[in-house]
Formats: sequence, structure tokens, C-alpha cells
Amino acid sequence: MQHVTLTVNGTKVSCDVPDETLLVTFLREHLNLTGTHVGCDTTQCGCCVVHLNGKSVKSCTVLAAQAQDGEVTTIEGLAEKDGTLHPMQEAFHRLHALQCGYCTPGMIMAAVNLVDTYPEPLTEEIVREQMEGNLCRCTGYHNIVKAILAVAAAKHGVTDKAPAPAGAE
Amino acid sequence: MLAERVFKAVGKPVPRNEDQRLITGKGRFSDDFSLPGQVFAAMVRSPHPHARIISIDKTPALQMPGVLGVYTGEDCVKDGLKPIPHSPVPSTKYDMKLRGPGNTEVFAGSHMPLPTDRARHVGEALAMVVAETLEQAQSGAEQVAIEYEVLPWVADSEEASKPGAPRLWDELPDNILVDTFFGDAEATEKVFASAPHTVTMKSHVVRVTGVPLEPRAALAHFDPATQRYTIYAGSGGAVRQKQELAAVFGIEPKNVRVLSFDVGGNFGTRNRSFVEFALAMWASHKLGRPVKFRAERSEAFLTDYQGRDLVTEVSLAIDKDGRFLAMRASNLSNVGSRCVSLSPLSKGSGLITGSYNIPAATLHARAVYTNTMSTQAYRSSGRPEVTFAIERLIDKAARQLGFDRFELRRRNLVRPEQMPYTNAVGSIYDSGEYEKNMDRALALGDWTGFPARRAEAKSRGKLLGFGFANYVESSIGSPKERADLIVRKDGIEVVIGTQPAGQGHETSFAQVTADLLGVPFEQVKITLGDTDIVSAGGGTHSGRSMRHASAVIALGSVDLIDKGKALMAHLENVPLEKVEFEDGFFRVTTSNRALSWFELAPLAEQDGLPVEFKDGLRVRRDNEMHTPVYPNGACLCEIEVDPETGAVDIKRYTSVDDVGRCINPLIVHGQTHGAIAQGVGQALWEECAIDPASGQPLMGSFMDYGMPRFDNMPSFKSEIVEVLSPTNPFGIKAGGEGGTTGALAVITSAIDDALADYGHPQIEMPVTPLKIWNAIQDYKKHHKAA
Repeated sequence: MQHVTLTVNGTKVSCDVPDETLLVTFLREHLNLTGTHVGCDTTQCGCCVVHLNGKSVKSCTVLAAQAQDGEVTTIEGLAEKDGTLHPMQEAFHRLHALQCGYCTPGMIMAAVNLVDTYPEPLTEEIVREQMEGNLCRCTGYHNIVKAILAVAAAKHGVTDKAPAPAGAE
Repeated sequence: MLAERVFKAVGKPVPRNEDQRLITGKGRFSDDFSLPGQVFAAMVRSPHPHARIISIDKTPALQMPGVLGVYTGEDCVKDGLKPIPHSPVPSTKYDMKLRGPGNTEVFAGSHMPLPTDRARHVGEALAMVVAETLEQAQSGAEQVAIEYEVLPWVADSEEASKPGAPRLWDELPDNILVDTFFGDAEATEKVFASAPHTVTMKSHVVRVTGVPLEPRAALAHFDPATQRYTIYAGSGGAVRQKQELAAVFGIEPKNVRVLSFDVGGNFGTRNRSFVEFALAMWASHKLGRPVKFRAERSEAFLTDYQGRDLVTEVSLAIDKDGRFLAMRASNLSNVGSRCVSLSPLSKGSGLITGSYNIPAATLHARAVYTNTMSTQAYRSSGRPEVTFAIERLIDKAARQLGFDRFELRRRNLVRPEQMPYTNAVGSIYDSGEYEKNMDRALALGDWTGFPARRAEAKSRGKLLGFGFANYVESSIGSPKERADLIVRKDGIEVVIGTQPAGQGHETSFAQVTADLLGVPFEQVKITLGDTDIVSAGGGTHSGRSMRHASAVIALGSVDLIDKGKALMAHLENVPLEKVEFEDGFFRVTTSNRALSWFELAPLAEQDGLPVEFKDGLRVRRDNEMHTPVYPNGACLCEIEVDPETGAVDIKRYTSVDDVGRCINPLIVHGQTHGAIAQGVGQALWEECAIDPASGQPLMGSFMDYGMPRFDNMPSFKSEIVEVLSPTNPFGIKAGGEGGTTGALAVITSAIDDALADYGHPQIEMPVTPLKIWNAIQDYKKHHKAA
């Protein structure tokens, strides 16, 4: 057993868990944070992306014990305490960047990290290349790309030039 | 048809009601539920494509830590479990009627939760182990010792249809379960005999799988006090699951409660019951504990119901002016080891002539059993396959006979004035402007600018190809739907039996209801997915939901308004004809008295009202609607091929889709994008390949099954066309499957065009870089220094 202590979404948590417990299992089953999903067994789909110490990680490929003393943010902790959505959540909603919603938490967490950390202005090509580790079966990625670019544009003081949501673009 | 009116919500790109919970991590997917004391089930799966089960030794597994029980097919029989009643033969009035050989009933192999006799495909569940933890159940499953007699197997449908092929079912003399002719064979043959031109093509539209990102999961619980089962299990229709799961146990459907809330993708794969759902229920009864099953991704690849797998051979007779005279087709469907659905074969059968006026046609439709996972309707069931066949055959005809491929299509398209048009196999196309779709698509995709783009690509050593396809598809589906409309003081609730997996029913149905009842969109709530609340309903498949839901809600709204008027008349003590309803208000014409829905609703709760108001301001409406609709459109794409490597790059993708009335363009465009991606995936990467030497499936993870990804997909240009269908109140067709329907044809058309300098090789899907490269090398070898 491992005694794991973490800060998850700003709250300190502590649990005894079997050595092999994955971070995603820890979040879903020990903390009941079921917003983080599991879509594969091979670190391919990205449904389980969370932030660990400010970086995107696939939480199915991190042991809970490896995250010891770390700061974890999950989809449940992304909005403000008063419920104000993170700009990425708002853009996903406004631009219809989700359908079934299963990949969405991991997608949003990865996208937030991309916009926050990428050193240069984002283009469609960069977004598509950088987000390749997240799979979506519903949207064809089109509206997800638009949402990420819209948030990136707003963040860098550029007018939101994302085309009309349902337009012929 | 509803009188044209100013819609306030219908037609607007309203962002979805569903999103708030899904973007904040508060969705309710099946595996998100847990119950106190729950235990876990793991399956022991067949490693063989075909094998007799000689014995199953449970003892070593039962000695493993935490293992609570090991169950086999013999135990199922002992406990009186029955096969899952899949009812695979489509049976609405307008479905093509598939029959067994010699006009017999179709034989659908028994689908027991666990078999007693044989394993018929790799991955088939043969035993279940239940343990305190998932890891213990999995370790236990590894210890179950099964002795097999390995049998000859067959996975390929053409091989399976041959005499002497390994046979799956003792009840049949061979593997052929469907053998039906459609159309007028004699007339067709006569035309072919004298036609100036004939062209022929054969292709295998290979098997793929749906890959919803949420692996299937179930949590079942049996309550001895009430003798009821509760199962949390996402699907394509909770009511259907309830009925089929009840049938497995031979109990009344009311003794099963299915809860299906957020569903992480479906695309058809979840529309039939999975054995593990019944098994989890069974184990929960036997053990007195809630039992959870959750498929791993590799189990999903092996044993989610799969899609496509059709061998099609088509011929077209053409006159000297390029008019299509007759068509002959032979379609062979691979249903896998058990027949769970013949929808793909049936749907495709009705559409073999595509968007074209072909006076005579005949189709030989067959289906065979093979040692593979069962196939099921997968996004646009049956239509992409036949669209691929006719569209690619037209490209080939144009090339061989020297016609312009667009002109050849124009000359033969069904014209608006021919609508409703009955095609040569009896399908009645309701409406559409097919040539206009073509014109719109070609303009939107800048066909006229293509030669310059091709020349530019060539200057970089690349081959740019232009692909084009028209399509028409059909939306039929389960004919019955029910809606409960309930007015309360703070809003209106609609309870309905469809089952979205991302299609946004909570939004689009609310838009429809809001406009029908004259209330703000925000005051309508849609309730789905709990069979203790949703009493009936046809689920979500075949693009049926928006059409069926809007129709039954429209009918229910009329009833509800009538009830409101009657209540108002009673309360105000005026004759019924003195009450008018407009814009959400009931007005007494002889006074200035007016009440909104939300003022009237509480008044319906008071004592002493006549009996017709005893349930309050609510109505239940059932509707049965058989007439199909035919969404249609045109699509084009440009693909750049690197002749040095065979790599492909989709540069543009444009589609024009006639969906009938579009309730929410934001959602419909999203559906189009996703549908295109699934079609592109099949055309370029996806395949449930089986090793021809061993019969082993070669794809078990995302590392070996090619998926559409961010970096291999383009952005799309999509345009919605609304030619209203005369068949239902709102004029709806469907918007979920058009994108997939044309995609197989248009992608392969573009690659074909790109390889013009290499002799237009016919490359079977998925058209991978290796196949392209090989085709180029092959051409070079045979045309050395010509």
C-alpha cells in the first residue's frame, strides 16, 4: 500500500491505496471525481487528461504514487468557484465542440494546457499537430479546432475571429 | 405539414442544454455509477475462431482470492436463461423484405448469453468470473480451464458462401441465411442483352467497428424485496434493452429498470443488447450483490457489434447518349456468427440505384454466417456501401465511355418534378433537388479553380485528385414513438423514448416543443433514458429521432392545447369555443381573462375537477409513422497524393446536405462533420482485419486500428439544404448520416482521380499509403519507358 497525499482541485487529499493504483483510478474511484474518463488501455485516446503540476498528463499512465505531493486539476476544478466557466469550457459550449461528451473533459484539459503553454501564436496546423493525442469520434475535430483557436485568439488580445458557429466554414 | 409560421426557436443555432454537465465533469455515463457492495465481472473469451467446448473446469478459478462465482453456458441453461431476442429482420411496412433461401423464414442463430456448444468467433464470452475487485475477476478468468476441440473456420463471406465451407449452424445446410431477389430480373436482363454499353465493378466494403469512446459498461442490481432488476447501461434505446433483457430471464418487462443517461457515442454499435448486460444482471441475482462489467478497449474492438462487410458486384447498362438503362447488383453481407441485424443489407437493397433514374434493376441480396463478431447497423447502415458502388461505377463508366463524369450524372439524376419517385426496387423518394445539390457543392468547393490547384501541386511533385459523389439515403427506423407532455408551474417536461449519444435531443426537442406550445425554449425540459419514467419509445437509430420526436410532440401539443382550453373553459365557466390559445396564453374571448401555461397548470391540481383533468395538465400521445424519408446531397473533396510514398493529404472537403427542415443548424453541422470523419476513416484507415492464416483479429487497440485524428482530418465546408419532406409535420428528413453516406465514394474517387497518370488503379478500402505505393510501383513495372 502507498499513502498518497495530493492537492486535487485546491483541496488536500490523503488516501492509502494499493501500489499499482493509477492516478485516474484514484480520482474516479477513491475521490469519486468521475469527470475524468477512461477510453482505452494504451494511452492513446486522451479521455483521461488532467493537469499535474501545471502539465497535461494522461492519468491512466501515471501512478497515484508518482503524483505524490503534486497539484492536480481535473475537469471538475477548471471553472471558477462561483461556477464561472473557464474560457475553454465556454468556447466548447458556444461553438458546439462536443457531442457525446465522453472525450470532452480530457480534450478541454489538454486544450487549456496547449493555449497556456505554447510559446508561439497558435494556428490550425499547430493545434491539429499538438492535439493529436486526444481522440474524438463524434465531432470530426472541426469545431474543437475552432474552439481552441477562439480561446487562443481571445487570450492574446486578438479579436475572436472564429467563424460563425454553424457557418459554411 | 405545419402551417409556415415564425419559429422563435426552431431553426436557430441554439447552443446545447446538455453541455453544462458535460463540460464540467458532471456527466452520468454508465461506469460513473457505483453501488455499495458492488463486485466485478470479467469474461473468459474464446481464443479460437471456431471450437467445440469439451469441458470447462471452474475449480482453479474458484480457488483464487476474491472470486465469488464462475458461470458457464451450462449454468445459463440450468437457470432457464433464454437467448437474446434480437429480431434481426427489418419489418416496417417500407423495409425491403429479406427472406431465407427458397423463400423461407430467415434463420437467426440462437444468441444465449453464454454458449454451451461451440465458440463461434474469437472473443466470444464462454464463461464469466465475478470477484470482489476487477483485478481479482480478471485473474480468476485467466484460471478458468476450457478444453476445446478446434474446428475449421471461415471469416470471409465469399468463402463462407461456397459449398463445403466450414458450417456454423447445424440447423442450416450451409452458411447462407438470406437469399432474396428484388426488382425485375427478366426486364433487366432483356435491357442488358441489347444495351450499347455495360460497365461492371466488384468491391468489398470491408468491416469496421464503431469505436464509441466510452467502452460499453453495465452496473446491475437485483432487489429481492421487489424482485426487480435495475441496470445502469448506456445504449441506443433503454426501452428496447428493457424488453430484450426481460426476455432473457423470461420475466415481465416491468421487472427490469434500465437507466441510460449520458452515452459516450453509439453509431449503431449499442443498439442491440450485449450479452454482458444480461450476465451482470444474472450474477447480481445469484450473488445478492450489485455487479459491474466494464469492457476494456481491446474487448470493445473484439466484441462491440461491428459494421459494414459487404461484397458488392454491380453492372450498369448505358445507352449511346449516356442514359442509364438498367442496373444489376449482387450484394453479399457478412452477419458474423449470429444474426443480430439485417438492417445494413435491407437498407442498402432499397437504394442500389442511388440518386439516379434507372428504369430497370435487379438485386440478388444474400447474407452469410462466418466465424467473426456479429455485424450490426453502423452509421448510415447499408447506404455508404451502395452509394460507393453506384458512384464509383459511374466514375468508371464516364472514363471508359468517354463521358464527362459530372455531365453523365446530371443526365441521369432523378429530377424534382419526378418526386415522389419510385425507384426500380420500389423505394419511394419523398423529395429533393439533386442536381441543385450538385451545383451548390461544385460552387462551394470551387471546382472551376481545381485545374490551377492541380497544376500547383504538380509543380511540387504531388498528385492532386478531385473526388465527387451524389448520395441519397433513407431514414426509416422503429415506427412507434411516445411522448408525455407535462405542464408544471415552472416549466414543461417532455418524456420521450429516443436515446441520444451526443445528438442533442435535450436541445432540439425543446426547440420544437417551445415553438409548438408558445413558451420560451428555456422552460422546456426533455427527460430520457430511465425506463421507470420513459414507458415506451423506439430509441435512436436510422436517423429517426428528430422526425419521430417532432411528429409525436406536434400531435401531443395539439392534445395538450385542447386540454388546456377545456380546463380554461371549465374554470371560467364559459363554453369551449369562447377560449382561444395563442402564443402560450389561453384567453377567454368574452372577457379579458388570460392565463399562461404556467398559471393554468397549478389550477389543474385542485380537487373537484372533472375526471378528465385528474392527472393535471398533461397528455400522453402515441404515434406510428412508417413512411420513410430520403435525405440526400452531394460531396466533393480534394486529396493530394505523394507518389514517392503513397501518403495522402485531404486538402478540401465540401458537402451539401438536404436534411429537410433543420431544427438546429449548430447541431446538424456538427453531425455532418462527425459523419464525414467516420466515412473518411473507413475509406482511408479503418479495418477489422482478420489474419487469413489463423483467423485472429489483428486489431485490438488504438495502436493497430487506424482512426481519424486531429492531424489527418481537414476542416470541412458544409452547407445545409432544406427541401421539406411532405411526410411529417415539420418536413424533417434526417441529418446524422448523410456525411458518412457519400464519404467512402468521394474519398476513393479523389484518389482514383489523383492516380490518373498511373492508370486509375482500383484500390480496395482502406486506401492506405502502402496500397497506393504498391499500385504506383505495379503500374511503373508494366509501363516501363513506354
